[in-house]
Amino acid sequence: MRRIFDYKTLIPRWIAVLLAVPFIILPLFTTNLATLSMIILSGIWAIAAMGFTLILRTGQFSLGQAAFMAIGGYTSAILTVKLGWPFWPSFLLAGVVAGIIAMVIGSVVLRVGGVYFSIITLALGEVIRIVAMQWEPVTRGSRGLITGPPDPIPLGVFEINFAVSAVPYYYFMIVLVAVTGVIFWQIGRSRLGGTFFSIAANPILAEHQGIHLMKYRVIAFTIAGVFTGFAGSYYAHFLSTMTPYMLGLWESIQIMIMSIVGGVSSLVGGPLAGALVLYALGIYLSRLPVYGIQQLLFGTAVVAVLLFMPKGTGLVDLWDKFWRKVFREPEFYEIPSVE
Amino acid sequence: MPPAGIWIDGLIQSCIYMTMAFGMVLVFSILGILNWTHGQFYMLGAFVVYYAFTAVGIPFPVAMLIAGVVVGGLGMLVEKLIIERVNIPSAQGALYVTVATMALIFFFEGAASMLFGMQEKGLAMVFPGVLDLGSLSVSYQKIAVIIFTLIIMTAMYIMLNRTKVGLAIRAAAQEPDAARLYGISVKRTSLLVMGIGCALAAMAGSIMAPVYAINPFIGRIPMIMSLLAIIIGGLGSLTGAIVGGIILGFVNSVVAYRLSYFSEVVLFAFVIVLLLVRPQGLFGTPLK
Amino acid sequence: MPLLELCNVTKFFGKLAALENINLTVREGEVLGIVGPNGSGKSTMINVISGYYRPSRGTIVFNGKKISGMRPDRIARRGLARTFQSNVLFEGATVLESVMVGSYLQYRTNAWQSFFDTKTYRDEFEEVVGRVLDLLKTFELFNDTFLPAAGLSHGYQRMLGIVMALLANPTVLLLDEPTTGMNHEEAMFVVENIKKISAQGTTVILIEHNMRVLMDLVTRVVVLNFGNKIAEGTPEEVMNNQEVIEAYLGTEQL
Repeated sequence: MRRIFDYKTLIPRWIAVLLAVPFIILPLFTTNLATLSMIILSGIWAIAAMGFTLILRTGQFSLGQAAFMAIGGYTSAILTVKLGWPFWPSFLLAGVVAGIIAMVIGSVVLRVGGVYFSIITLALGEVIRIVAMQWEPVTRGSRGLITGPPDPIPLGVFEINFAVSAVPYYYFMIVLVAVTGVIFWQIGRSRLGGTFFSIAANPILAEHQGIHLMKYRVIAFTIAGVFTGFAGSYYAHFLSTMTPYMLGLWESIQIMIMSIVGGVSSLVGGPLAGALVLYALGIYLSRLPVYGIQQLLFGTAVVAVLLFMPKGTGLVDLWDKFWRKVFREPEFYEIPSVE
Repeated sequence: MPPAGIWIDGLIQSCIYMTMAFGMVLVFSILGILNWTHGQFYMLGAFVVYYAFTAVGIPFPVAMLIAGVVVGGLGMLVEKLIIERVNIPSAQGALYVTVATMALIFFFEGAASMLFGMQEKGLAMVFPGVLDLGSLSVSYQKIAVIIFTLIIMTAMYIMLNRTKVGLAIRAAAQEPDAARLYGISVKRTSLLVMGIGCALAAMAGSIMAPVYAINPFIGRIPMIMSLLAIIIGGLGSLTGAIVGGIILGFVNSVVAYRLSYFSEVVLFAFVIVLLLVRPQGLFGTPLK
Repeated sequence: MPLLELCNVTKFFGKLAALENINLTVREGEVLGIVGPNGSGKSTMINVISGYYRPSRGTIVFNGKKISGMRPDRIARRGLARTFQSNVLFEGATVLESVMVGSYLQYRTNAWQSFFDTKTYRDEFEEVVGRVLDLLKTFELFNDTFLPAAGLSHGYQRMLGIVMALLANPTVLLLDEPTTGMNHEEAMFVVENIKKISAQGTTVILIEHNMRVLMDLVTRVVVLNFGNKIAEGTPEEVMNNQEVIEAYLGTEQL
């Protein structure tokens, strides 16, 4: 009976685990910085895309998620660089601050729906970028802040040192993505996720069934904000820099596109697929001598997905269909006996 | 009081934003969509004119018209092949159109980078020389922008209010079902409007090409500005687009002169408050 | 004390008064019918009571507390649920998903417990599922449990709406033309179920066009015309009221 919100994922769990294995063992085969960076950055964008999808789950379309990454990034950058805080508390606080700001902004702005909400998030993102650029004493303006690597983690006699190679970054990213993924996945299949869905599917009906629309919209927006803040903070420390140019409208658009191409029906797998495919693919393409082909193909890929995939589906749904054929599962269950 | 030169720049920017906003809102009125690719057509118009004028030697006004037709046609292609197919009637339709037109931004920027190179191109002044008005000197090029806008806006007015085509457009925008009953093909009219809107953007890009430099990314700011213009003016209002364009043009130059970056913040903050308090903008129709 | 009371309720849309000075009391346990020609304000009345609209003037008191101006979800939480005539479905949901997300008010456990899947939550979940499936069986929707709700016939979609309203544990149930769009068997089936609901003590307010349905169910009728209450009484009294007959002139046989 747990299957009620869950029955769509008929893919056995072990397949998902199997998929993760190559990523987990990758550093054993290569410590090539470029390869590892590509995956690390895809993971970071994937987390931001998960946040976007969660907000979309409540019927809102946010074009400002990169700004929350910037908030997270600047928070931890300022705390470590200007106040000398160690990395890990700064990282945590980055998420908290981003979440609080999301909650405050959301409470005001989520009353508005549709395209107006999108424009507001767009405008807010730009305001944050401008503030970052101009608030010289705090953010050092357009020069930005140079951040350091995360502090070493002592593990018994060993020490995980981020300063020496990308491998610790890689594994921490895996942990971060895994934690975020599990949390989002559980939200999706819990009653909370169902409530989010109902707000998007028919807000009037949901409201009359006793659901306080604003409360849940703000909750989703805040949760997304927290994890996007974490992603942003990690982004800043991985790239060793935090400038106002890194996370603007165009990055918000990228986040949105990753989520949609990956498939909005899935809170975790979709964004992961979308981010990996679009970002990693994009990086490979940008190595071609022809400039601009990365963007060209990025745009084409998205339009192709929209044109040729059934509406509302993305890469994850292709994956889903494939496994259904393999296991010959019907699209819908027959009625189970009431246990 | 900012120097007169700034006011002129404000006027120029108003003209351009007005033209682009008009095109964008025209498309919105009849198709119900926000075309995020609008700025890319501006950029393409500039490139077409550049090559037509410098490489082929076509006189500038003709080159502009060519840019309008070519890019307008391209816009119609985009509408036919992509937007129409993606825009399903449910609420999701608007979402997909948004994603598609946003993706097309990257597509066109990438294509332009590949085809034309990233190097900034300068178009030599087509109308060289300056008009001296006492302490103020205005380049003829900038005057050309103003004249262009006047011509275009007049042409739009005449077309929409005095021609059959304009009547069809207005009918299809306001009451599509009734328009169909009168034999107006809403589909074809929509396609035409898309072409006109994109042509407007392209011609705006063309006339501005000699004023500032040309590169694949020049479409971004005009798009955001025309979007803000139609939001302020009110989605669906042609007058609103014009007023919004004027406001934005002057905010971006005159107010920016006084307040520099802060003017942008003020602008965005104003838009946010506007959308919270009066989402229909200045001239739009209230919802619910 | 009446369970639900409308005092001088007026609702303007622009200059048009959709409801004008409506005074109405609803007693506990009764089945009240609201009738009137199209456009008389019946749906507006339900919308105002359920909180979808705020009355321009007047107050609505439910169980001693003023609910006019409250958000619909707070009103629903107080025990007042309604069905809809159109816009009845959760887009993209199956029947089961619809009733599961719609059974929000059935739960006592909070979001944390649901997230962490605690034992308390799981037990409550099983209970709720049981109740939900029972309701689905009662309304003959059990066989469609896993099918998309949008694929149901209109009549069964309306029944799904009734199921969802019932899942809000209402003391007062507002039904907006529940049998419209149903064939005779379906309509009679709904009538039987409404009788059962009423027998269990729920107060029912019912907008209906179908006189046969109404006669069978209600104890009292209120007639609206152009936003005003023009008559009130037993069905027989109302049917013989001159004003009522005139209002309906030519539209329906009473």
